[in-house]
Amino acid sequence: MAVAIQLHSVTKTYHRAGETLRVLDELDLAMDASTFYALMGPSGSGKTTLLNLVGGLDHADSGKLMVGADDLAALDGSALAQWRAENVGFVFQGFNLLPVLSARENVELPLLLAPLSRAQRRAQAERALELVGLADRMDHKPRELSGGQEQRVAIARAIATDPQILLADEPTGDLDRSTADQVLELLQRLNRELGKTILMVTHDPQAATYADKVIHLDKGKLGRIDDNRTASGAGARS
Amino acid sequence: MPFKLLWRNVTGHPIRSLLTIASVAVAVFLICMLHAVTSGLTRTLSAAASNRLLVQSAVSLFVDLPLSYQQKMAPVPGVEAICKWQWFGGRYEQDKGGFFAQFGIDPETFLPSYPEMSIVDGDYDEFRKRRTACVVGADLADKYGWKVGDTVPITGTIFTRTDGQPWQFDVAAVYRSSSASIDQQTMWFHFDYLHESLETGGAIGPQGVGVYMLRIAPGTDPIGVQQAVDALFENGPQRVQTTTEAEFNRQFVSMLGDVPSLLQMVGGAVLFAIFFAVLNTMIMAGRERTRDLGVLKALGFTDRTTALLLIAESLLVCGLGAALGLLLGVVLEGPFAAATASFIPGFGFDRGTLLLGAGLALAVGLISGLVPGLRAARLTTVAALREVG
Ligand SMILES: Nc1ncnc2c1ncn2[C@@H]1O[C@H](COP(=O)(O)OP(=O)(O)OP(=O)(O)O)[C@@H](O)[C@H]1O
Ligand SMILES: [Mg+2]
Repeated sequence: MAVAIQLHSVTKTYHRAGETLRVLDELDLAMDASTFYALMGPSGSGKTTLLNLVGGLDHADSGKLMVGADDLAALDGSALAQWRAENVGFVFQGFNLLPVLSARENVELPLLLAPLSRAQRRAQAERALELVGLADRMDHKPRELSGGQEQRVAIARAIATDPQILLADEPTGDLDRSTADQVLELLQRLNRELGKTILMVTHDPQAATYADKVIHLDKGKLGRIDDNRTASGAGARS
Repeated sequence: MPFKLLWRNVTGHPIRSLLTIASVAVAVFLICMLHAVTSGLTRTLSAAASNRLLVQSAVSLFVDLPLSYQQKMAPVPGVEAICKWQWFGGRYEQDKGGFFAQFGIDPETFLPSYPEMSIVDGDYDEFRKRRTACVVGADLADKYGWKVGDTVPITGTIFTRTDGQPWQFDVAAVYRSSSASIDQQTMWFHFDYLHESLETGGAIGPQGVGVYMLRIAPGTDPIGVQQAVDALFENGPQRVQTTTEAEFNRQFVSMLGDVPSLLQMVGGAVLFAIFFAVLNTMIMAGRERTRDLGVLKALGFTDRTTALLLIAESLLVCGLGAALGLLLGVVLEGPFAAATASFIPGFGFDRGTLLLGAGLALAVGLISGLVPGLRAARLTTVAALREVG
């Protein structure tokens, strides 16, 4: 299986009040393409930081970070913005929809950056919304949707441009169990049916069971990596 | 550029947007009005003719000169014609609240000295021949519905008739003026009619001449004439001050204080107030959208686009305000000009006024948008999402 994301000795530090905080400490990690990863670890262990680096929202201090064939350290400013538009989709915890736009318009947003006609944009946004099961809610504003529906719109927006990689930071953190399960099933389906590589940060062990592999992070260091597909028992779902 | 998002951001806060648009509109309207007043005054000043001098008392415009001065000035080389002017200060019976100027003048030399005036109705000869006749401005005739042949009663406030009746002036002609040096709302009558009434005891009031207008012959140096006339009366009985028409107008306007600078200061203050109001609103709007901006950047929108989004929003709000303010100004320009024509000569919008109003509003919009716009450009997604949690 092709390697989608590769980290070599990636270090990220933050400086605060004269103190240097090593959030990611010479991290080595390789993630396969078309695989659903869960990223777990205690609060402050650097999960969001890692996700942001992989998504090109921030730069590492040192080390090498390859996503697909791209070395993210070589990209900056608007080149990095364009890379994000073409290669990754984000889903955040608080459903980051723009409140003034309808569901369809929110999903159309990233498509504005692609060379598409208005009609193509609309069609592609509708297709994405159908895929997440919200064909009947396209003209609703975010405040007219439930939490789970909002998060599904956010997922539709993340896949609208058909990126290879989906990055989700605690996408079910604000949802109740059954709503969370729907969202997780959706992510699993996107991985299984469309072959998306997914990296999902979560605190919820049950959410992690939807993933193929679970990466454990602790104080900026890599812990163990569990493979749900080979493990036996309740962890495995198919 | 996601225009729909831009528009929705503006309409998403309808009250705030409308208030901002309204305050920009009011400011633009005010600034245009103030500019129209100052440029009207300036136009009047600059429209002055260079071949007309005015002789007034060296003490003050309100002190009359003796009648005998006319004969003494007539032989001064370069003086082609002399016209007496006397401020009448009467009130039109039918319009107690309204006001317009009346002057007693010399019909023989008046019209030939003011080629910017043309008779549009009636006959100037008729005016010359009839002692009680008058010439009125076209705007004045329109306003009060006067026609040639009408008799207009004017109550004197400086010159009162001993029979207790108002003065009666017969409208013999209606004029229009092509220059701001003469407005369209003045009544001209015979100086001699006023003078004779005072002589024969038919009326009481000060005897004398307010101002002598000297028309100088082509090719004559006005400064030479000025000096010669001033020298003539150096030893009394009344010293005079001879000025060009431009200088005279300037003094007349500045009797009201330095109106143009005052108005400019008021306009500047209005502009400042509105600038801070718009700036404050835009900074608030920018802060509110911190998370939205972070999301847009995560989706791949560039720093520039997110900055432009806020700048364009500010420009849009200020542009709408400017359009509304200019519309208001253009609609009210006519009525305002009509209502103030007698004391704000030359009031009117020109292209400069409209450009000034629109330009200032857009400048306010641009700067107010730049402040949150630059912040948006510098903001990172990581910080934006962390900030709001
Ligand atoms: N901009 C920043 N400046 C300073 N310190 C930061 C900054 N961003 C993150 N940190 C610190 O880096 C550490 C890791 O943060 P990160 O958000 O990656 O943790 P996390 O694993 O996602 O935690 P959580 O599960 O609570 O979301 C934390 O201690 C955090 O306080
Ligand atoms: Mg986190």
